[in-house]
Amino acid sequence: MKDIFVLMEHRRGELRDISLEMLCGASQLGGNVVAVLLGSGVDSFAEKAAGYADKVLYVDDPMFENYNSEAYQKALSALIKEHQPGLVLIGNTAQGVDMAPALAVELGAPLVTDIIALEMEGDKPKPTRQFYGGKLNAHMTLKDAGMYILTVREATFQVGEPTKSGEIVKVENPVKEEITYRKFVEYVEPEVGEVDITQSTMLVGVGRGIREDKNLPIVEELAKVLGADLAASRAVVDAGWLPPDRQVGISGKTVKPKLYLAVGISGAFQHVTGMKGSELIVAINKDPDAPIFSIADYGIVDDLFKVVPKLTEKIKELKGA
Amino acid sequence: MSAEEISFIEKYDLLGCIQCGRCTGGCPVSMRTHLNVRRFMYDTQNEERLEELSERPEIWDCTTCYTCAARCPKGLEPLEVLIGLRSLQIEEGRIQPTVRDALESIFKDGNPWGSPRAKRLDWVGDLDVKVLEPEAEEVTDVLLFVCCTDAYDPRVMKVAQSLVKVLQAAGVDFGIIGEDESCCGSEVRRLGEEGLFEMCDEENVELLNSFNVNRIVTISPHCYNTLKKEYHGLRHPVLHYTELVAQLLEDGKLTLNKEIGKVVTYHDPCFLGKQNSIYDEPRYIITRIPGVEFREFDRCRERSLCCEGGGGKMWVESESKAERLAEIRVTDAKEMGAEVIAVACPFCLLTLEDATKVRGIEEEMRVADILELLAEAL
Repeated sequence: MKDIFVLMEHRRGELRDISLEMLCGASQLGGNVVAVLLGSGVDSFAEKAAGYADKVLYVDDPMFENYNSEAYQKALSALIKEHQPGLVLIGNTAQGVDMAPALAVELGAPLVTDIIALEMEGDKPKPTRQFYGGKLNAHMTLKDAGMYILTVREATFQVGEPTKSGEIVKVENPVKEEITYRKFVEYVEPEVGEVDITQSTMLVGVGRGIREDKNLPIVEELAKVLGADLAASRAVVDAGWLPPDRQVGISGKTVKPKLYLAVGISGAFQHVTGMKGSELIVAINKDPDAPIFSIADYGIVDDLFKVVPKLTEKIKELKGA
Repeated sequence: MSAEEISFIEKYDLLGCIQCGRCTGGCPVSMRTHLNVRRFMYDTQNEERLEELSERPEIWDCTTCYTCAARCPKGLEPLEVLIGLRSLQIEEGRIQPTVRDALESIFKDGNPWGSPRAKRLDWVGDLDVKVLEPEAEEVTDVLLFVCCTDAYDPRVMKVAQSLVKVLQAAGVDFGIIGEDESCCGSEVRRLGEEGLFEMCDEENVELLNSFNVNRIVTISPHCYNTLKKEYHGLRHPVLHYTELVAQLLEDGKLTLNKEIGKVVTYHDPCFLGKQNSIYDEPRYIITRIPGVEFREFDRCRERSLCCEGGGGKMWVESESKAERLAEIRVTDAKEMGAEVIAVACPFCLLTLEDATKVRGIEEEMRVADILELLAEAL
């Protein structure tokens, strides 16, 4: 089986998770896994990648300090032509989808974007991608080709422990000419409010069950010890107790945190629609018939003013231990 | 001047406007937002300004309650101009994510709530309801058109369930469409997505015409208005449930035995009252429920205050921080000593019930659909 090239993605001094995910995924396919690292003074990334790859091709050049699709495409196509891998994996990220299609056209290689699973039939990949907003999975059959390019959706593969110690091969930058069409200018930070709850991994959602805004601190305390952000039902935002950017629901934000702790939220449909995709839902409500319990994984039927302070204490204890 | 821009002036008869200002004067949301619909009637006559005007956030504050049109001495419909401006935004793909998700869900699953079609009949539960077959030889009297909100929102499901109980008690021969039922598209049109509304119109008319029924009865006034006035080629007459139930009571087919024993007021839904002049039937029903003491809002019938649930507002928040009209409404109800606000619309039910929570009066003020009260009085 031919080598598998995996493009390492990094940004602002950080090796992106997708890089190691793809290396781990590629290792399950059989064949030599070659991490391709284009960067400037990023030896630590090379070492990290070596833990998951059979070989690391490392081009160390100031040209690659920041991502530039023109420079990346030229370098990758030269390396691919030289080393003739059978498969090239690129992250289905802003960087990856910016460059992969142009690279595929240049090399005349079949391209499948945004894959969510991958098997091999000999040297030929059998990727899976989604249609109709994730309602259908399509198993793709590709025409015969010498080399295939796939862009991989983030979190498709899990990152395990490093089990390899691939050789790090520093190669000379194959791009000799100047990069003229595209230039890196600057990173522009998106303007966000104080907290973007759609990005939070843990949320404590507050409902009208807290009765008065002066009771908010007990929930804030719980969120603080948990390391979670505060979210709110529409009624709480309408009452002016929390700002509108914290509102979860059909007319607010849709959130999918790892943990959604619903405190004093009855679970009106318009609210539930905005958070039902959360991985784990825990609800505290004194009304056993509150609709929130029908979607909660765990529920506590009791007065939140009794439960929340105790829960906060317990978490403090556990964290202290 | 391009053809498209001429049509904007012609489409809304903008040159007929005399700038009297009755539209803005009566507009309920002008109390809490910057929306000045009279200005839009004037400014949109300048085709070069259409794009800029369509970018104004306040065009999304309109609830399409119809007060402006009802008050216009020239018979114009100022709210439609705002819908037209929304369309310009939608065509450009400039659309809030919450609206996008609702429209996409209607396109994919036939409901705006992001729920799968396969769950459309969850509301039926243990009830014995006939699912109609298309092109059946036997005539069924009533096709019950169930609003998406009644079908999917667990709170509002109780309203649809109550209607089933009421119709069964009155011995009405009725059936439902089942999983093939799709959103009427009322909110789609009001959010400005004209293309998707045309699809709702065509597909629903074809589907509804395929059933051998005498009449269609809707639960939501929004479905009612759309089926009755905005669809093309529908061959069955359309009734709102209040029309049917009032008739059943008058004909003595429905007997109410249990006392409710509450002070009840009635909130006129805009799409039933202002837009379809159904004022008396709901009141007739409520006042026949044993033990009800009925009190009118000061602002009732044509002057009823909008709850802000229509016009796509379930998916769009206003930038205004002023109190919601629904909050004013529940406060008014409390001050006049009402214990129950009866409604006849799923959106009114949700917005008013939410407002009782915001005001912290949810334990003393009940918001219920007329059907729920009826089912309890059977």
